[in-house]
Amino acid sequence: MAVRYGGPLKRAVTFQIPLGLMVGVTLFPFYWMVITSIRPDPELYNVRANPFFTLHPTLAHFRYLFDLTMFPRWAWNTLFIATVSTGISLFCGLLGGYALARLQFRWASPLGTLIFITYLVPPTLLFIPLGDVVKTFGLGDTPWAVILTYPTFLIPFCTWLLMGYFKTIPKEIEECARIDGASRIRAMVSISFPLAVPGILSAGIFAFTLSWNEFLYALVFLSSPQQKTIPIGVFTELVRGDVFYWGPLMAGALLGSIPVALVYSLFVEHYVTALTGAVKG
Amino acid sequence: MAPDEGAGGFDRRAFLKVAGAATGAAIVGGIPGIVAAQKPPSFPKGTKLNILEWVSFVPASDVEFKRLTAEFGKLAGVDVTVDLINMNDLNPRIASAIETKSGPDIIMMINNWPHLYADGLADVDDIVEEIGKRDGAFYDISRKINVVDSRWKAVPFTMGAGVWNYREDWFKEVGANKFPDTWDELRKVGTALKKKNLPIGQAFGHSLGDPNSWAYAVTWCFGAAEIDDKGKVVINSKETLEAIKFTVAFWKDCLDEGGLAWDDSSNNRAFLAGTISATINGASIYFVAKRQFPEIAKAMNHAHMPRGSAGRFYYMGGQEHAVMKYSKNQQVAKEFLRWVMDRPQYDKYIAANEGYVGGPTSYWEKHPLWEKDPKLVTFKEATKYGRWTGYPGPPSRKASEALVKYILVDMYAQAIKGMKPEDAAKWAEGELKKAYA
Amino acid sequence: MADQRIEPVLAESASRGASAIPAAATTPIPARGRAIRIGQLLEREHVLAGVLLAPTLLILTLFIAYPFLLGIWLAVSDKVVGRPGHFIGLENFRVNLHDTIFLRAFQNTFVYTFIATILKVTLGMLAALLLNHHFRFKRIVRASMLLPWIVPTVLSTLAWQWMFDATFSVFNWVLMNVGLISKRILWLGDGTLAMGCLIAVNVWRGMPFFAITLLAGLQTVNPDLHEAAEIDGANAWQRFWRVTLPLIKPIMLVVVLFSMIATFADFQLIYVLTRGGPYSSTHVFGTYAYELAMRAAKLGQGASISLFLFPFLLVVIVLQLWYIRRSD
Repeated sequence: MAVRYGGPLKRAVTFQIPLGLMVGVTLFPFYWMVITSIRPDPELYNVRANPFFTLHPTLAHFRYLFDLTMFPRWAWNTLFIATVSTGISLFCGLLGGYALARLQFRWASPLGTLIFITYLVPPTLLFIPLGDVVKTFGLGDTPWAVILTYPTFLIPFCTWLLMGYFKTIPKEIEECARIDGASRIRAMVSISFPLAVPGILSAGIFAFTLSWNEFLYALVFLSSPQQKTIPIGVFTELVRGDVFYWGPLMAGALLGSIPVALVYSLFVEHYVTALTGAVKG
Repeated sequence: MAPDEGAGGFDRRAFLKVAGAATGAAIVGGIPGIVAAQKPPSFPKGTKLNILEWVSFVPASDVEFKRLTAEFGKLAGVDVTVDLINMNDLNPRIASAIETKSGPDIIMMINNWPHLYADGLADVDDIVEEIGKRDGAFYDISRKINVVDSRWKAVPFTMGAGVWNYREDWFKEVGANKFPDTWDELRKVGTALKKKNLPIGQAFGHSLGDPNSWAYAVTWCFGAAEIDDKGKVVINSKETLEAIKFTVAFWKDCLDEGGLAWDDSSNNRAFLAGTISATINGASIYFVAKRQFPEIAKAMNHAHMPRGSAGRFYYMGGQEHAVMKYSKNQQVAKEFLRWVMDRPQYDKYIAANEGYVGGPTSYWEKHPLWEKDPKLVTFKEATKYGRWTGYPGPPSRKASEALVKYILVDMYAQAIKGMKPEDAAKWAEGELKKAYA
Repeated sequence: MADQRIEPVLAESASRGASAIPAAATTPIPARGRAIRIGQLLEREHVLAGVLLAPTLLILTLFIAYPFLLGIWLAVSDKVVGRPGHFIGLENFRVNLHDTIFLRAFQNTFVYTFIATILKVTLGMLAALLLNHHFRFKRIVRASMLLPWIVPTVLSTLAWQWMFDATFSVFNWVLMNVGLISKRILWLGDGTLAMGCLIAVNVWRGMPFFAITLLAGLQTVNPDLHEAAEIDGANAWQRFWRVTLPLIKPIMLVVVLFSMIATFADFQLIYVLTRGGPYSSTHVFGTYAYELAMRAAKLGQGASISLFLFPFLLVVIVLQLWYIRRSD
């Protein structure tokens, strides 16, 4: 829990200044994004101008983003894809985590290992043969191409997190329910799952972030502008040949970050608590 | 010349007249033929055509291209879609399309990619011959990059050159009333400019455009080359050492030292910010200047690559359209290409490009757009000095590997960083031998 | 109820080791009976486990195992785009070991991963310790500290690219105006400096993940332990080293190993910031493999470079699993 310090000077030196520095460094690039997205072009390309503020803020870049690109569509795509892949990963992670934590069966160990082994295969190795599979199922250029492939890197972490979480829930609670006549599944669903909600939230946030963030698969599997996600759309459509449209780029970067940031700010305390739970296990 | 047609709304009879006039008596079938016969298009209902192109920094040309495709779609009763992606992201898309044997029907190829992907591309000799008969011979470089094993693998579309963009006003201040014609003269002028804190800018980073514009062009101008026309690696030569030594000296005397970190866009920014006085680039700087920095647009001009002991050379890029072998709509695709390269259509497309690109045959040098703005003449003329990756050898996939590994660019960059020219040349030789093994 | 009747039957057939469905299956079972049968099946741990793990295994087999095997095949073939590949054994690997760019990428990958991870652990630990206090804006600060990790890498890296730009760098502007430097620093123009910038951005992006996870770990440490240590005369440093650290070692190890794997296979950050330049001095396995496979269409060679990640990642995974198993 929290620790107290004595003396205001000591407090400043050992706490406030380091914390301030850390927050400053962490947030500076975002301040930068904001400023760049509202500076008019002549100022952006002026080497002598003060880069830290502008006296003529403009919304032109945001307008460009909304009028001349399909940004709203990308935002919707990204949201849809991230939500569904998170759902799938949580489903698999929940069931798998429970199985690995609670059930005794011969393959528990090897299967657990196998699931983590998948981290050995990075997307840069997989994306071409994966394209083959995606096309075989006729999923090319549809959101399902990425919705079904994202879980490959989301499920292992979700499984681990929830596995750890389930281990912290005493077996006795379930045993009681089973003695009372509930089937295994009943006990699992009505007792263990609700207790794991913080873990589920935590894994869910993690999965959502990684899906939102993903680049390589989205780049290769989604081609039409209507199907793109924010990272791909902003990167490919605001860099035309050798001209970077920095203003709209930063505007897009900013807007592309806000939804995820919001989700996090609402759930960050839960996330911490949940990790605590998983950690204890 | 093609008469001006109003945007949107077309009249079939007028179109027919124009088409007939432009293609002369030789109606070789295709859309004009179909329209002439007043028959419905011969493509089954619901036929789709998907085209993948790069994002042009000239937004107007993308708009025009999309308009043209929509027009074709209406004419032929075909559902045409166009996807635009960044040049650098075309390769993975092409690779995965060819490997999985599905994807766009037409894909834009850049530079010598037809050699790289030859096995996945359909032959297009028929279309190319038709265009050649009508518009005159293709440039040598077009031929070299598109013909693999004597078959045309892509239809040349445009040719782009990186020429010297420079500030006429600043050059005049140091006594140069026109852009220097030889490298030594340029070095003298550049030295004077750098002393006034207005250096020349050149990229030596890992980007496919501008860094190669220097690396290859300078190498050729000094009489050196990666390989000879038989494919033997000849980079480690006296001429190469000259080129390297010159580049290092030029770096010290004339160039902006940020260049090692520059990519294709850095010189644009620097020029428009007024921190450099000259750079090799396409027309993208001028294009942006005209819209946002008119004083710079007025003060700048374009000029040819200076002459070296071996002559004047440009590292040229071309864009071409390939019909993919796996495509189930090859007939439609070919019809489209035939139609879009036809004069009324191509005329509008090249006008929309405002001079950033030239046409693939000498016919298009006569287009009125070149007369509108004299500052763009250099782009038109550059093509005849243009050479391809691997010159004087063939622009093969091995040349692509050398390009992708940035062997020439790194050779110069390392020398600039302090490596002895002999060692840099030797290093390049080793790497090239591996690529050409 | 139904349990008591069927349980012995199942137990019997289990001991027989034969198929789980005894003779009763040959007689038609009414629907409700069938449901009960399935229900009984799912009572058995390994059947239930199988069912629960089925979706995971399906997805992982389809979308990882199969493509992975294909990837191995690519690495031992001479495949280029558009042509069928032929088996060439370890030729690609031999070529790699003689390729100066590859060797540089090898070195870079390790340097990048190790330095970045050490920095992330240290700074993350520091941040976690700081955040483990009650202060007024605790919630907002914690949430905002996560931003670098939340924001899509591509986008934040573009912002950094602009900040390091040779002409427009904000850092240069500050340093020059403060008088600390007179010539621009070319952040991405020098091999070593560029490597440093890459590591810096990676640390900036990844540290929050460490911070929040270690924070969770810190919060499991019982404050009574600290008080006891304080009473015994231990100072803050000793308390940290002797009490806190051992207790959070488990979570620290897990997060370090996860992070190392991701950093080792990193692609996006380097690709966007330097593309492996200047003069190929910042290539890592991921970017070099991508360049060869995509731009030179040499799929086989590219795959062989990616596979160099494998042994190292294997070691990391094995360590992780051994540790998790040990603490069970």
